[in-house]
Amino acid sequence: MSELILQSLYSGLLAGGSYALIALGLALVFGTMKIINLAHGELVLLAAYIAYMAESMLKINPLLAIPLALIVVCLASVIVYFLVSKIVKDRELNSLLLTYGVGIVLTNAILLIWKSDIHSTSNEWFQQSLVLGSLYSMNSEVTFFVVSLVLIVLVWLWLSKSWYGRAVRAVASNRDAAKLMGINPRWTELISFVLSGVLATFAGVALYSYGVIQPELGSALTVKAFIITVLAGAGSIPGVLLGAVLLGVVEALTTTMFSSALQELTGMLLFLLVLFVLPNGLFGANRRRG
Amino acid sequence: MLRLEDVTIKFGGLTAVNGVNMNIASDEVVGLVGPNGAGKTTLFNSISGLVRPTSGKIIFDSVDVLKTPLHRRARLGIGRSFQIPQPMHELTVRENLLVAQRFGTGKIDLEKIDEILDFLELANKAGRNAATELALTELKALEVAKALATAPKLLLLDEVLAGIETTGKRRFMKMLMNLHKQYRIGILIIEHDIDTISQLCSRVCVLNFGQLIADGTPDQVFSDPQVIKSYTGDQHA
Amino acid sequence: MKQYRWMYLAVAAVVLYVLVPLLLGGNLYLMSLVVASLTIGGIALAWALLGNLGGMVSFGQAAFFGVGSYVSALLTLKFGLPVLPAMLLGGVGASLASLAMLPALRLKGPYFALAILAYAQIFRILAMEFRGVTGGAGGLSGIPQLPTVFGFDLSAKVGGYLVILSIVVVFLWIYYLIRKSYYGLALKAMHESEDATRVVGVNSTLLKAMMLLVSAFMTGMVGAFNTHYINFLEPDYAFGSSWTVIPIIAAIFGGYRTIFGPLAGAVAIYMIDQLIFKNLIPNGHQIILGVLLVLMIIFCPSGLVPVLVEKFKGKTHAEA
Repeated sequence: MSELILQSLYSGLLAGGSYALIALGLALVFGTMKIINLAHGELVLLAAYIAYMAESMLKINPLLAIPLALIVVCLASVIVYFLVSKIVKDRELNSLLLTYGVGIVLTNAILLIWKSDIHSTSNEWFQQSLVLGSLYSMNSEVTFFVVSLVLIVLVWLWLSKSWYGRAVRAVASNRDAAKLMGINPRWTELISFVLSGVLATFAGVALYSYGVIQPELGSALTVKAFIITVLAGAGSIPGVLLGAVLLGVVEALTTTMFSSALQELTGMLLFLLVLFVLPNGLFGANRRRG
Repeated sequence: MLRLEDVTIKFGGLTAVNGVNMNIASDEVVGLVGPNGAGKTTLFNSISGLVRPTSGKIIFDSVDVLKTPLHRRARLGIGRSFQIPQPMHELTVRENLLVAQRFGTGKIDLEKIDEILDFLELANKAGRNAATELALTELKALEVAKALATAPKLLLLDEVLAGIETTGKRRFMKMLMNLHKQYRIGILIIEHDIDTISQLCSRVCVLNFGQLIADGTPDQVFSDPQVIKSYTGDQHA
Repeated sequence: MKQYRWMYLAVAAVVLYVLVPLLLGGNLYLMSLVVASLTIGGIALAWALLGNLGGMVSFGQAAFFGVGSYVSALLTLKFGLPVLPAMLLGGVGASLASLAMLPALRLKGPYFALAILAYAQIFRILAMEFRGVTGGAGGLSGIPQLPTVFGFDLSAKVGGYLVILSIVVVFLWIYYLIRKSYYGLALKAMHESEDATRVVGVNSTLLKAMMLLVSAFMTGMVGAFNTHYINFLEPDYAFGSSWTVIPIIAAIFGGYRTIFGPLAGAVAIYMIDQLIFKNLIPNGHQIILGVLLVLMIIFCPSGLVPVLVEKFKGKTHAEA
């Protein structure tokens, strides 16, 4: 029994890596513009489908599809930014509706282009199992977990050390003051959307490599990302990783102990629990005053 | 009618109000003065329900106010005007009063609404959008009108005169003086202008750094050396 | 002026209750479209009521729709209750379910919208899992149809039309009554000045909760109607996101700030989608709705129809 639990913890941990990428993308945009991009999951899915297309049509390793996916997804992300910036009033709520609409468009576009069949990678190396002691996983899971960690560390370094990164944080905490200091908020907002697209791309390719994809997955991914963002609390990147791993582990444990249908349920319940009981998230700092 | 017993209000490490004891009888006009940041608005907020005291009791007409939720305090008889006017948005001036009366007293008395509008010289603006079409003086008048519409027994006025220029101020002051004559209710008023306070109030309480340092007639209080020091920081009275 | 209003209403009543059945009653397909669009209209109205009066944007109407459907279906199927009272109880059931959402009321806009979304998902999964009660993923069958009342068979297409029409008319009336009451005034003011209302005695939390209950009741009752009308019920259908998405687009299209807007929008959007879009892009026609939503939020967030009406009025005034 405990072996099963250990396996669940391990699988959950690995899944948490990609979840963290997705959540981080969402959190970046939320941090700079205070809006929730409900189409984010669809962007991830788009990348996954591009990887599928590359593998099935060009017979190449999904990893090689990343450059193309980056271009497409970042372009889509920029378009979303452009649309959102056109909202005149009540941006917080109207952006929810707008990105919801974009999500519908993307989901249906994916449906139209690639039909509703389920797909997953046929790459053999990815599917090979990697055994650590008594713990079993696929090469793809471990590979992308490492990739996720690297990306998260890079983003964290970038945000805390680089000029652009600090500009992003400045705009996030006080837009007007940032303007006075010569930072152009629109550039930083654009950059965060692009970065969000980059993270979504890697997460999407990862998803294709070790999971199954289908058009309806988009909104489920967005919801997962949002749950993690709430779990993590505002302004904490390590929190996002921990929150993602927590979600992954909880889902894996639920699947093992109950059924896979309930794993969505526990995610939701976790979300509501945190929303009501711990409004600052598990790891988030209190709202800093500007 | 209103009794504050040892009311202390702390925000994190900051003590805004420190052990204040106060008594207001049912138709006194009492001034509450003190330098900026002394805790006057915070005290008002605790009486009207926007802030919870850390310790102490507030009794109004033998009812424990702190056990009464915010929205019920109007029914108890506590009316409040805000220093920065907070009109009810998307409603006209008249509708502001109607809502205040309907929910603050439980019934509608249209004659009373007209009376209040006349008294505060808002009758000709009754149909205007309260949040977007009023000048500052009118917004301040609306604050008082809203509170009056709830048929209060105690009226908390928070710096009603601040920001109004001299002629408007004089008219407003006359209104405030008639307020007590016309609606025999208790009034607790925060003001900075010493002349205004001396003319309006029979009693003055002075707050400094959250503590009550004086409580007496205007003459007594304004010649109290402690009070003068709190305003001027002067060693010599 | 007042008498003109009564005339308009009387004419509308005749048109809706008499002419439409007479003219369209023969065309079963069209009739079923009209019924479906009115169903969407009821939900759109409930959504707009919650947004307008309650000040809360909800992404979870599907939850209430599903709960109402299941409560009514189970009451008639397992407990033998007559259909019409069961429909009412379906609405009540949805209201009770919304009580679980009360804690979400203190959340700010976007967080509330998403918390409600989470609730909707939870209800859907619960419906799937409690197969003993709800028949699980396979759903329920043999759900009683609408009864025959005064010799009039309500289970026929025309009968169903009259039922949903009446339900929607009653909803409109309730919406209207609330809006012009003092509660309506207080609710309007609460959007941007909640503290100011509370200080004068408005129990804003209670009012918001009541709006949630009313919106849930309306949506639930419509769901109950739908289940008896089509005699089909399964979790993915009853809690499907279409019941959330299409009413929202409909309400924004028709103008969610007016009473008739959501309803008009629902009829328009649903009919156009089914008659035109579906033929253009059979498998992904919702994509057009998505584009429409995006464009509307950018150019006319309070509603497309009101903007067009203003333009029209502007033109006629210029000509006059």
